[in-house]
Amino acid sequence: MKTRIKEFRARYDLTQEDLARKVGVRRETILFIEKGKYNPSLKLAYEIAKELKTTIDELFIFDKD
Amino acid sequence: MKDKIGIAVGIGIAALVIATILFYVLNAGDLELNEIFPIIIVIILVVSTCYILWDRIKNIKKGLPAQDERLKITNYKACYYGFIASIWSAVGAPLLSGILFDFELSGHHVTAVVVLFGGLAFMISYIYLAWKGD
Repeated sequence: MKTRIKEFRARYDLTQEDLARKVGVRRETILFIEKGKYNPSLKLAYEIAKELKTTIDELFIFDKD
Repeated sequence: MKDKIGIAVGIGIAALVIATILFYVLNAGDLELNEIFPIIIVIILVVSTCYILWDRIKNIKKGLPAQDERLKITNYKACYYGFIASIWSAVGAPLLSGILFDFELSGHHVTAVVVLFGGLAFMISYIYLAWKGD
């Protein structure tokens, strides 16, 4: 799964650590989500989308491959 | 608060294990190779535990959680690998010991092998998954 978290973070001038603190996870979790190495729970995906003032659909791009 | 209690308990257990090893090594006299090997595994487990505790303390100091949903999943996976390693070591250790060294392992030896290999498999898989991702 591809994500646009990095793009949205840059838009709001947030570091991985800032976002991690806001949604209550470790920085590495944000890093792995951005790299597509970890699929977050629906709750975490919703919280990230809320913090980045967007929707889950906008943030996560489902790639069948 | 729960995280801090967990870390304090972890530090206490690690300190007790280190003290036990030191006490054993200082009083055991000349150690043979088969006695050194389990001590090395225990030291690896204690050092890995200290690393995990240090990592959690570092996160708490930064205002981040010690454990989150990804680490919980990592923990479950590492527990699974540790469990599988324990089962296979319980089966394999007496068998290999008999075939390779013509030595029959006693019950407490097998228990020690199960605990040490299970713990080692847990630690290796936990640290690997925590670093590299799932």
